[in-house]
Amino acid sequence: MKGYRKPLPQMSPWSAPFWEGCRNYELLIQKCQDCQAFNFYPKMYCANCLSSNLEWVKASGKGKVYSHMTVYAYQPTEFAHDVPYVVAIVVLDEGVRMMTNIVGCPPEKVQCEMRVEVVFERATEEITLPKFKPAT
Amino acid sequence: MAPFKGKVAIVSFGEVPTGKFPNRPCLASALESCRQAILDSGIQKDEIDTIIPTGTFYNRRYNTDMVFSKLVEELGLLGRVKTNMQVFAGGSSSSTMLKTAVGLITAGLAKTILCVQSDKTGSAPVQEMIDLFATFGIPEEWETPFGFFMGGCGSIFATRYMYETGATHEQIASVVVSMRKWAALNPNAMLRRELTVEEVLSSKLVATNQTTREGNVLADGGAAFIVTSAERAKDLRNPPVYPLGFGGRVCHYGVSQDKDLTRLGFPEAAKEAYEMAGITAKDIDIAEIYDGYPIYPLITLEGLGICERGEAGQFVLEKNTWPGGKMPMTTNGGMLAQGHTAAGGGFAVLVEAIRQLMGKAGERQVKGAKIAVETSMGGTFMDSHVVVLGRELP
Repeated sequence: MKGYRKPLPQMSPWSAPFWEGCRNYELLIQKCQDCQAFNFYPKMYCANCLSSNLEWVKASGKGKVYSHMTVYAYQPTEFAHDVPYVVAIVVLDEGVRMMTNIVGCPPEKVQCEMRVEVVFERATEEITLPKFKPAT
Repeated sequence: MAPFKGKVAIVSFGEVPTGKFPNRPCLASALESCRQAILDSGIQKDEIDTIIPTGTFYNRRYNTDMVFSKLVEELGLLGRVKTNMQVFAGGSSSSTMLKTAVGLITAGLAKTILCVQSDKTGSAPVQEMIDLFATFGIPEEWETPFGFFMGGCGSIFATRYMYETGATHEQIASVVVSMRKWAALNPNAMLRRELTVEEVLSSKLVATNQTTREGNVLADGGAAFIVTSAERAKDLRNPPVYPLGFGGRVCHYGVSQDKDLTRLGFPEAAKEAYEMAGITAKDIDIAEIYDGYPIYPLITLEGLGICERGEAGQFVLEKNTWPGGKMPMTTNGGMLAQGHTAAGGGFAVLVEAIRQLMGKAGERQVKGAKIAVETSMGGTFMDSHVVVLGRELP
């Protein structure tokens, strides 16, 4: 989209499939074919056994809020028009953790351990960000 | 027994006032601190064979000068110093540098080491520093796009901590009150006006459970200390301070990847350091705890075993960490009150532990203190370090 001014993720060669997944509204994570460990964020080698035998699998897209914060002031300059916004750490049902935003919910309703599900927000042609909303 | 015990001593320190000093060059902070440390030790400067500066954030060129032996030249030690090298772990440069120095002396690879820190984040261009600290240490691909930033760190840790322990925002805010109490007695501190819990809570809300007065203020500062053998320390001017134990754990790079934001690595780091030192939490006279934001001293007090899980907030609220309290904590006022000088915030806490054990803390001297514990954390509170220091030869 034109006019997206917030910082965009700088892709690495091994994370490109993740962002391609997001463009197709799919949340992909890596699964090590040698030790079966899930990896997120995307790794060059499995963080559990250092194998390069990593495959992309579709995650459930469901999880729970580990912790959260609503930002009111002194935010990074590019987020000036977004305050108040909710930043959260979500633990997916697969066990991996990610930083994200909680949307579709008043900030004061967000709580630790709240069930959430992924929702995709298109930022630019290239980048779609995975965010989370309360589970239906 | 750990091979360094009884073999190594800290023999002096130096420190310049923390604050905004636009006309004080960063090099002046470093040189003044080094000079104080050298003159105060009674050591001849030519005995210094190793200089370890830590990293400086405000200016890449100055930082490179420190790496490239500028101080060796300024202090007239060309041809005498054998090693000049940087040890840098952000806020935990204090503990990690001491660890390095102790290792070098024990191994016979150095005799007398000058450790030094200087930075000028307080009078550097404000927007530049805000942007720097908004992005440094935050995974650019996985956290920055969602608006997570260093200034909000305390908030996301506090939310989970409060959820798990039932602690209140009032209890967390009381840490700032304790820091200001000590800073009022510290001529080198920047924020010396005392505050009430109400004043802390009623300042502008930055993020959930984090107000402006629960944030630290960027400042200019510098400090130094000298480490040598316990044998050499015998003939010197100051009562030596002996490193007794070290413990550490690195628990994340990105905050989202930490499995327990309410404990971090402190329980393990403390256990390690206490076992090495042969002490328990009951032996601690002073807790020189790294702060940054008020949630971290609570997590640390519990990890150190000074408070039970979930009880640190009430402990601080009830003034136990104040001057005259049961457990004097961060007696220089920490980054919340002495000021945040980048890697220097932790460095100042370590220097304060040394100062207290030498009995040179003036108005805020904790009488009869024999054992101090010093802690530090770097980056987005990525690591947990615990160092035990003592006044008596182990």
